[in-house]
Amino acid sequence: MMHDLQETTRRHFFSRCGLGLGSIALGSMMKDQAQASPFAPKQPHFKPRAKNVIYLFMGGGPSQLELFDWKPELAKRHGQDIPESFIKGKRFAFMNSSFKKANKLLGPTRQFKRHGQSGIWVSDLFPHISSITDEISVVKTCKTELFNHAPAKLFMNTGTGLFGRPSMGSWVTYGLGSESQSLPGFVVLQSGPRGPRGGAVNWASGFLPTTFQGVPLRGSGDPILNLASPKGVNSQSQRDSLDALKALNLKRLMETGDEEIRTRIASYEMSYQMQSSAPELIDISGESQATLDLYGAKPGQASFANNCLLARRLVERGTRFVQLYHTNWDHHGGPGETLTKDLEKVTHDVDQGCAALIKDLKTRGLLDDTLVIWGGEFGRTPMSEARKTPGRNHHIDAFSMWFAGGGVKPGNVVGETDEFGFDSVGRECHVHDLHATILHLLGMDHEQLTFRFQGRDFRLTDVAGHVIEPLLA
Amino acid sequence: MRSPLLFLLIIFWNGLGLQANEGKHWAFIAPQRHAPPIVNQANWPKNAIDHFILTKLESANLKPSAEADKITLLRRVHLDLIGLPPTPAEVKAFLADQRPNAYERVVDNLLASPRYGERWGRHWLDAARYADSDGYSHDAPRVMWQYRDWVIRATNDDLPFDQFVIEQLAGDMLPNATTAQRIATGFHRNTQINSEGGVDREQFRIDSIFDRVATTGEVLFGLTFGCAQCHDHKYDPIKQVEYYRMFAFYNQVDEPRREIPTATEIIAQKAHDQKVTALTAKINSVEQGSDARKKLEGELAQLKKKRPRATTALVMMQRSSPRMTHRFIQGNFTRPAEEVKPGVPSILHALPEAETANRLDFARWVTSRNNPLMARVTINRMWLHYFGKGIVETENDFGTQGSAPSHPALLDWLATEFMRNQWSRKAMHRLIVTSATYRQSSKHRADLNQADPYNKLLGRQSRLRLDAEIVRDNALAASGLLSTKMGGPGVFPPQPPGCMNLGQHRRNWTVSTGEDRYRRAVYTYRWRATPHPALKVFDAPDAFASCTRRIRSNTPLQALTLLNDPAFFEIAQGLAERILKEGGKTDEARIATGVRLCLAREPDAQDLSILKSFLTRQRKLYAGMDAVALSAVIHRAHGAQIADETQRSEKAAWVMLARVLLNLDETITRE
Repeated sequence: MMHDLQETTRRHFFSRCGLGLGSIALGSMMKDQAQASPFAPKQPHFKPRAKNVIYLFMGGGPSQLELFDWKPELAKRHGQDIPESFIKGKRFAFMNSSFKKANKLLGPTRQFKRHGQSGIWVSDLFPHISSITDEISVVKTCKTELFNHAPAKLFMNTGTGLFGRPSMGSWVTYGLGSESQSLPGFVVLQSGPRGPRGGAVNWASGFLPTTFQGVPLRGSGDPILNLASPKGVNSQSQRDSLDALKALNLKRLMETGDEEIRTRIASYEMSYQMQSSAPELIDISGESQATLDLYGAKPGQASFANNCLLARRLVERGTRFVQLYHTNWDHHGGPGETLTKDLEKVTHDVDQGCAALIKDLKTRGLLDDTLVIWGGEFGRTPMSEARKTPGRNHHIDAFSMWFAGGGVKPGNVVGETDEFGFDSVGRECHVHDLHATILHLLGMDHEQLTFRFQGRDFRLTDVAGHVIEPLLA
Repeated sequence: MRSPLLFLLIIFWNGLGLQANEGKHWAFIAPQRHAPPIVNQANWPKNAIDHFILTKLESANLKPSAEADKITLLRRVHLDLIGLPPTPAEVKAFLADQRPNAYERVVDNLLASPRYGERWGRHWLDAARYADSDGYSHDAPRVMWQYRDWVIRATNDDLPFDQFVIEQLAGDMLPNATTAQRIATGFHRNTQINSEGGVDREQFRIDSIFDRVATTGEVLFGLTFGCAQCHDHKYDPIKQVEYYRMFAFYNQVDEPRREIPTATEIIAQKAHDQKVTALTAKINSVEQGSDARKKLEGELAQLKKKRPRATTALVMMQRSSPRMTHRFIQGNFTRPAEEVKPGVPSILHALPEAETANRLDFARWVTSRNNPLMARVTINRMWLHYFGKGIVETENDFGTQGSAPSHPALLDWLATEFMRNQWSRKAMHRLIVTSATYRQSSKHRADLNQADPYNKLLGRQSRLRLDAEIVRDNALAASGLLSTKMGGPGVFPPQPPGCMNLGQHRRNWTVSTGEDRYRRAVYTYRWRATPHPALKVFDAPDAFASCTRRIRSNTPLQALTLLNDPAFFEIAQGLAERILKEGGKTDEARIATGVRLCLAREPDAQDLSILKSFLTRQRKLYAGMDAVALSAVIHRAHGAQIADETQRSEKAAWVMLARVLLNLDETITRE
């Protein structure tokens, strides 16, 4: 994986075709088609613990202090000043407006309880997630570096705040290929009132070939852009066209010996497969009522719950990396951003779907092979903002995410934060560490998964990253 | 892995007593011009380039490939120089032209065509990270098209490359700077602007300068200056403090948005000003304080408010009050260290009195003939577009971590030739495309595949998939729908609904009407966050950072785009109309016309048989199709209506055939 991809496919071709094109029969060329496809599954560096990833991305920055990080001391000191030592030299968003001076401590606004055998603390906002605590590992000491939404989302997805780098899903499909030859290897699903900040750059392939970019499944219209044949072109006509194209392209392959044409033929065949497999995928009406009820999904009604169900259907069909975005977690305290009814709404949007996904994957024996990730681009401050109703600012020093499934230690908590939930105490889990761990679970060494660009071997983890051992089963 | 030739060159240099260069990385030593080597197959070379290429092939016991057939060559040079295919008439004329310089004449015509600037200007726009929006999460629209038009015009005018660069880095500081020279400074205003709430403006100003330094290094030096932002460069001799010395030049810049009227706007403004003058004169002729005068004064006030506004452009301007520049510890602007004066890396050629130098001095230093890199890097990128990869494969890293040149003597010869030609890019294009090396067939050969699997020795040409813009332009040209209108604000060709929902904000995409619907893709409006999907899917860069080399991917989404995208289907409908109108009466004649329009060549028996049987199947299929389906297939937006029932299914079959032709690998490939 050290080399430019195009070089690799070329070398592959030349090693097989050195005998001369004349000796290769047309039939065998077609049989080998899957081999030449850039989407074909590839071997990881070592034995993987998980094969697929479902990443539930909570856009906006969920408040860990209202969800997983129970801080009784913060409750006691509500309304007091935060000790100077915590904030000295720190920078925050909105430093010139609503966060000009450090604000008073804001106690947790929700009730917390321990749940399951593991006794993991979860607030009353997540009644369903409370029921899966024995399946998950909560990491309380996640740390990122950027405190504005779009750069921080990029940092979480690509390991840098700079635009133009490949996202995690692109790296993973670049490294592992995909098990599916009829659906994309990296699929993005979206719900919530708007798209995530930064938009498509969050699932872009950056300098990797676009083969590996995330393909958004659309909530309305064609599930994949340009999936449906033009009006008046029926499946027979489409198939005839594909056949004529294949015959003419194969002829050209024989004439020129250019292996890229084989990939082109494979791409056209896969596009044809997608025309039937994608509509089949998104049609959830065939799921049992019990399954629909488990998720709270309704056929024909786009929602986070439906997307969770689609995520399961995607990994069942061999898609490598599924990323779900749900937006509106930005609870500063202003209108539409309250820690009361607005936070209640968004937690209610996702709670049942998240829990159902874990339960459903487990029932079907898919959880062992699937890594599930839940979290936002950063967390929120223990201090309140100077706004009309209480709210919290963006916080990058310590926030919570949870992991479940393939290779993750169940019923587990990684890291602890100080009495206010401001900083980590002990093991800090930087975004680079999270990335290194995710790749590790997929059987890849984050230092070996590289791509040469601008004269440098780039990695998802830049020049950092350590596998978080306490997270592993 | 050093080639014997390079080894000999080193010996030679040392022999000349250039001891100062001893141990220096090759790229930091000024290019040396050597006579083209003598070759055995003396009748093959057409110019100096071929001597350098052939000598290496011969030492590997390989023969170059035969020249491509005339049609392939004509289509290749058309697509390479102007990004459009030859018309059937041009093909015919070229085949008939028996003059020995027939090909050279074609090349000269293409270089003189305004289409040339649209093609080669686009390569530069990639490097300039040009877009019509601000980037970051808000991605607000910006008015920047005058810069795009400046690039196309300057390319067509063959502005000498050193001047081309000086105007972009410091056009505003030239004596008596013209409007065009000010617009040119938009080059470094193509950086992103973050308008998200809660951001620290100084942080993003600094980030823009980081981008400017990195882009300068990458585009004009082929060096990763950016690596020295946080620490001394790990591999190349560039110190962190030297990075901030270059930063200092860009730190003295104000970043205004200026009204810069276009030619038509100047006329409109002048006309308006004349009205104002006339009215003022009239007022002065009326008695002061009178009602009539008051009324006229009111009219004047109203008129003055209506002065036509001019198009704006983002430009650079030198600050009046200088800023101090500091080195930032670990590149973090909140951790300034010692103050830094302007200057340049000591490994490169000298900039006298650097401490008092300004941005214009810096620009002149960059474009100096003493710069060991700019000519090499520029020529190498030109080469890359013609052969699929550069003589230095890592075209943006000529440093110690980059790959060594495959033909170092050729690279140096080309670099010196570029300067000898007074930095004329057209002269260099002409040289390259008239070489025997360029004219070779791209067919794979078993012996070459064995001996030189990466085609580093260039024993043949390469097949290259067309760039995103050219995929569209080529199809438009084949169908006869293409508009050749140049310049002006970005246009909005059709795209599938829902594409603008993917960014944080829903941005506008009101589909253009009239000929703007069919303009060349270089004029398509470029949103950074939500780029046109048909461009994105064929690897057009999204302009978040400088892109000096596009990757060529090959994906099912490309297949879906060409097969199903409404804009491409419309082009297929247009092509079918053209085939039926111009293609003669028989199926064979019509198929041949379609093949000629898409591939420039004639169909062979096998092509004809595949396409005829396809046509027969489609005729049957569409004869039984209901009126609604038929109508959808044959009616192009704004196209002519067809009344006759029998003609309807016939046309549908041809639309399907045209669509197959437009989807062929050969159609979207430069052979």
